[in-house]
Amino acid sequence: MVEETKQAAKGEASEEWKPKIIAFLCNWCSYAGADLAGVSRVQYPPNIRIVRVPCSGRINPFFIIKSLSAGWDGILVSGCHPGDCHYISGNYVARRRFAILRDLLIFMGVQPERLNFTWVSAAEGERFGKVVKKTVENVKSVGPNKMFEKDW
Amino acid sequence: MMQKMISKDKISKFISVLQKEYKIFGPVREKGDIVFKEVQSADEMDLDYLNSKIPPKSVLFPMVDTLFSYKKDGEKVEIIENKPYNKVVIFGIRPCDAQSFYLLHNFFNFGKFKDPNFLDRLLNTVLIGIGCLNPRNTCFCTSVNGGPFNSEHVDILLTKFKENYFIASSTDDGDVILKKMDFLSDAKDSDVKEIEEMQKKVESSIKIIEDLEDLHKILDNMYEDPLWEECALGCLGCGTCSYLCPTCHCFDVVDENKPDGSGRRVRIWDTCQFPLFTLETSGHNPRTNKIQRARQRIYHKFNYYPKNYNLIGCVGCGRCILYCPVSNDVRETFSKIKKAPSKTEG
Amino acid sequence: MSDLESSIRETAKNLLTEGKVDLILGYEKGALPLRAAPCFITDPTDVDRLVFDYSCDLNLAKFLREHPEKKLGIISKGCVGRGVIHLVVENQLNKENITIIGIPCQGVINRSRVIRKIGEREILEVKVENDKLLVKGKDFEESLPLDDYINNLCKTCHYKSPPVADITVGEATASSLQDNFEDITSFESKTPGEKMEYFKDELNRCIRCYACREACPVCYCSLCFIDQNKPVWFGKTADITDNFIFHMIRALHVAGRCVSCGACSSVCPMGIDLNLLNRKVEQIVKERYNFESGISLETPPPMGAHKFEDGQEFMIEED
Repeated sequence: MVEETKQAAKGEASEEWKPKIIAFLCNWCSYAGADLAGVSRVQYPPNIRIVRVPCSGRINPFFIIKSLSAGWDGILVSGCHPGDCHYISGNYVARRRFAILRDLLIFMGVQPERLNFTWVSAAEGERFGKVVKKTVENVKSVGPNKMFEKDW
Repeated sequence: MMQKMISKDKISKFISVLQKEYKIFGPVREKGDIVFKEVQSADEMDLDYLNSKIPPKSVLFPMVDTLFSYKKDGEKVEIIENKPYNKVVIFGIRPCDAQSFYLLHNFFNFGKFKDPNFLDRLLNTVLIGIGCLNPRNTCFCTSVNGGPFNSEHVDILLTKFKENYFIASSTDDGDVILKKMDFLSDAKDSDVKEIEEMQKKVESSIKIIEDLEDLHKILDNMYEDPLWEECALGCLGCGTCSYLCPTCHCFDVVDENKPDGSGRRVRIWDTCQFPLFTLETSGHNPRTNKIQRARQRIYHKFNYYPKNYNLIGCVGCGRCILYCPVSNDVRETFSKIKKAPSKTEG
Repeated sequence: MSDLESSIRETAKNLLTEGKVDLILGYEKGALPLRAAPCFITDPTDVDRLVFDYSCDLNLAKFLREHPEKKLGIISKGCVGRGVIHLVVENQLNKENITIIGIPCQGVINRSRVIRKIGEREILEVKVENDKLLVKGKDFEESLPLDDYINNLCKTCHYKSPPVADITVGEATASSLQDNFEDITSFESKTPGEKMEYFKDELNRCIRCYACREACPVCYCSLCFIDQNKPVWFGKTADITDNFIFHMIRALHVAGRCVSCGACSSVCPMGIDLNLLNRKVEQIVKERYNFESGISLETPPPMGAHKFEDGQEFMIEED
């Protein structure tokens, strides 16, 4: 499966294609972690655009689906580690929602590499950089998102 | 008006002559269903079909109809209007569906309210129909001023006869086309007589529903009748009957945008059976419940259409009976209307 | 009339005459062969309208919410009973007003499959005799193996009678079927491209009539997501991208709530196979959270609950 998508990626993605990844980060942990990465001058790929949400549990699956339908190549969702949610259980809610959404999207033919989920705490600046690097690698391996392109 | 014969194997030639001037839309079998699509040759068509699910109104009144689109380039905006319409032939249409174009035309051409999209397309369209040798049990075209070989609303009508089609034009446009086809044979008088007898036999095999023309008078006194509650009980309130009805024409207009700044305005099918159909900007909705919507469907076709256009707003194709998910039968509604006690009041 | 049908009519008549219910909700013969219509009976002398056979593919639980003040009796095959229980769990129905009349179901016939087999010939009569499906028309008569035309969802169903019922008519059948979701695993062996192509091909026919949504007992939102316009999330046109998204999200919204009745697929006028999506959603919820909707009044639905130990094998692993 990965071979086929790599071939497609080679064919479709020109040298110029740069993946565009939208990241939904929870305010208290992940966004703070990303901020720490910035302050610490951690080097990570510039392909993500961050959307700050108060809690990963705020994330409506529509955000993810709308992003894919609007042409974003990949998604990154990040919240607090289990047990550390600022609102106690928002991250558990997010985890269930994302699990079901991801399973269903993959079943309908969306490449799993586009949907990325993690926990990043406020102290994990270095790790945030690694997470983004991995996400960008994943998305690069499947090429640009043309699944929901409208031709008018 | 001309009467000729064409053998089945000459239909391909007929189509290729037409193709020089027209785009051809015909009945194509896709995954078991018949759809009206553009065809490049006669082999793509299946002319021995009963009827399509989606009526051929979709050719002139598409499910998704871009009204105009635009592109933005910095401050510059370029508006792209719809291309001018090609001349089109809808080949193999059934007489009931052809009659529906006449009804739709009345709606889209009402006084000062003229719809250029539909009207321009209709002006450029030639209808070549095929008569029905096997009407379904659910057909009732003969009860609404139609018939299986009704040529009133087509330019040319074909009737299958042994290995040939009897081909007859009923308009000037039809004559012009037939004159171009120099490979047609003359129709023998004896054959014509046999064909006309067969047509009459088929027509009389369709069960008549009495008094549909006068239904509007009964409906005038039935607006508050408890019958509508009964009608609406099992109704799901989906769009199946409206979307598959050849005479239904309601639409919604939505605007769509892409992230790159381009966009379009598009017209899509809508139905009075959806609760949001009548929701007004103020927030008021005159039809909040299913009973009102179920009643509206009957009134529009059998009371308002007769009042506005002097026509019954139904062609008796039977699709609503065949495809209703809860097996609601409009013919039963007709008999209930005729039997309803309140008709004797007032 | 079968024994089961006469027992159903008897039960319905007694409930109405004794005043235990105001309205009986069941199936009656539809206008055409192989069709059944929902039947609403208030008069005990009307009970002879009630039928139950392979054509009863609607989920009657859908209609309960429209009669909130009445005492209702509902003729429930397995999935209908599950629908009722799930709606009670979601606080949409008052269980005290509802009498679930449980009946055993043998499955429903997939009408699209029969019509595709018969082709452009009008079906005038359909009869089931033992394991044969007899289809008759003006000039033809065909005898088909019944099992080939039973709905896929019915074949993997293990709640043929409702798990929770107030009255049981006929023999409550408990199925010992072990469901390993093989149909899902075999579909998942396709590549992402093939899967998407399959769904886009199937959903291309969708005309956005929303019969699926209206027939579904758990789709009861007063404003469906697709109709929202502040903001507009997704398109309402019948373009394939919009169709794909509508059905994907509807499947997402019924996750953990769908009772696998297959009504959405049965009512689709275009014969789209929505059952595959339902099965996937059923599998996700069963394997991740060990949940089946509508079998107990106690268990909360999975999307309204969460656990510390929930699986997270999909998390990205950075090196």
